[in-house]
Amino acid sequence: MNFGQQLINGLVMGHAFALVAIGWTVLLGVARLVNFGHGQMYMLGAFVTWFAIATLGMPYLVAIPMAIVIGVLVGLLMQRIMLQATIEQNLVSIMIMTLGFGYVLHGAAALFFGSTGQILDTPLSSKEIAFGDLWMTWQDAAIIGVAIIEFIVLKLIIDRTRIGRLVRMVAEDPKLAELAGVNVRNVYLGVFAFEGAAVAFAGAMVGPRTPILTSMGFDEVIMTFVVVVLGGIGSVTGSYLAGIALGLFTAFFGAMVSPAYTTAAAFVVLIAVLVLRPGGLAAGAR
Amino acid sequence: MMTRFRFLLVPALAALLFFAPVIAGGSGAIYSAFVLMAIFAVMAYGLDLIVSDLGEVSLAHTVFFAVGSYTTALLSTRLGAGGWTTLVASLAAALVFAALLGLITLRLREFVFSLVTYAIAVVAATVAQNWSFLGGSDGLRGIPPLDMSILGITLKAGNDREIWPFAFVLLCVVLYLVERFRRSRLGSAAIMSHLNPRLAIMSGVDPQAVRLKVFLFSAPLTAAAGWLYAYQRAYVSADILDSYFLILMLTAVVLIGRRVLLGPLLATVLVLSQEKFLSLGGYADKIVLGSVLVATLAFFPGGLIGLFHRLRSALRARPSIAHETTPLDRTV
Repeated sequence: MNFGQQLINGLVMGHAFALVAIGWTVLLGVARLVNFGHGQMYMLGAFVTWFAIATLGMPYLVAIPMAIVIGVLVGLLMQRIMLQATIEQNLVSIMIMTLGFGYVLHGAAALFFGSTGQILDTPLSSKEIAFGDLWMTWQDAAIIGVAIIEFIVLKLIIDRTRIGRLVRMVAEDPKLAELAGVNVRNVYLGVFAFEGAAVAFAGAMVGPRTPILTSMGFDEVIMTFVVVVLGGIGSVTGSYLAGIALGLFTAFFGAMVSPAYTTAAAFVVLIAVLVLRPGGLAAGAR
Repeated sequence: MMTRFRFLLVPALAALLFFAPVIAGGSGAIYSAFVLMAIFAVMAYGLDLIVSDLGEVSLAHTVFFAVGSYTTALLSTRLGAGGWTTLVASLAAALVFAALLGLITLRLREFVFSLVTYAIAVVAATVAQNWSFLGGSDGLRGIPPLDMSILGITLKAGNDREIWPFAFVLLCVVLYLVERFRRSRLGSAAIMSHLNPRLAIMSGVDPQAVRLKVFLFSAPLTAAAGWLYAYQRAYVSADILDSYFLILMLTAVVLIGRRVLLGPLLATVLVLSQEKFLSLGGYADKIVLGSVLVATLAFFPGGLIGLFHRLRSALRARPSIAHETTPLDRTV
């Protein structure tokens, strides 16, 4: 095992995990919403990007916004349908509905894009950066860069802006926020639109790292669970750190033990943390 | 009057159901559809108790289904075990898994519980695909025909027509158990800890213990469906952990209405009828099933029965009596 190379792989994977999870972190922190369709939305983001590049012949930089727009529309549609249940905080219904949405997205994507695996090639994914015998692709470097920027911007928006204050207010107490004149419905819709945009963006960025399949959403979402729960529910900084920790763990576990069981191993870590620290590692830190 | 009526009604309905495949033409495809409807309904009843009575969303019930199937496949292909052995072993294995899972998730609340159960289902799928002991991605093939011969009576089933009586009996037993559960002390404790946890604690009910017990009761039901499914398909592979089964179970639980005894059965019949006889193709069927699930919860959360009651009371333009005696209120 090449330690330096695994360290790089781990950091790249970690930023990828964090990038995929960011939408759900906000969703959970602000609206106490879970989205079991998250993995399928990621899949859709990757496939829309692939379709725009491979079939429509668009440049990567145009394909990404296209994926984001589709992601926002899907997010808005889902939240519009679930709005009543969200306002009632009917978590059982919401969870089952998001599973249903994920299933619909899977069926629709397989119908539209075909059920065979595809490779999402971008101009960045074939160029390598080498330092001695260590290497990564430019795509990997871009993932790290955009993940860091996205987390910093998000943190600033939540902590420092008016929108961030409204969102935190709704997160703290939706009823009180409503009394204070905040339009809670719009905040929920906005948060879900962000979730759709963020996960589609992650699909466009991270999708090129692996072959993409319309069925990949089912297990893709596990790593997001681990990031969100490890990071402390709703904590932006916590998610970033948890993503990196999980990336390093996955890289070294895959290299030293078995790549087939990395998901299982990550899950065991999740269980251990939940049993020992039910609030997550960064409990209390927002 | 009503109870005397039930005495006649239940056997009449059961007989009607038993002969339904013959009435529907008796072809192989009909028997196959009926067997699958019974099996999947039984599978859904396990989850029904968790979602409708306990008010939690367990996404790990596909694992219990798979535990039943894999136990049956392993014992019958490797050790030549018969139907009774595989049934008992499937139920026992499901109990062990449910106890483990119940203990791990005992203190997890609301969505964290669902996240973890979902993760368990995904991890189980990865393990089933990769572990050669379970046949890896090829699965386990060559499961012998079901043989439940006992005391000199030959009870064997090789095709769907012969499996139907077994599926029918299994369904009846499970319906009876679910009905008994809802009338039992545990059943009312489950409802109470679901609807009013504080009242439950004050009445001396320990919600965590109730939850664990309901889990232990529900897992073998779903595993029993997996047991028969292994014989019906004659092979078991990792696709038994596909999300299809999860979505199907959830739809079966919510479509007709919660805590309606025949609800999951009717919903399974509706869904499978569409897939078997009015299929639009595999992926389009996914869209249909997922949309039905979402639409039910979003637009008529009380299920089709709730919709029916709403329509009826809207027609009468006065509060309906049926509304006040939903099955939920009757038990509490």
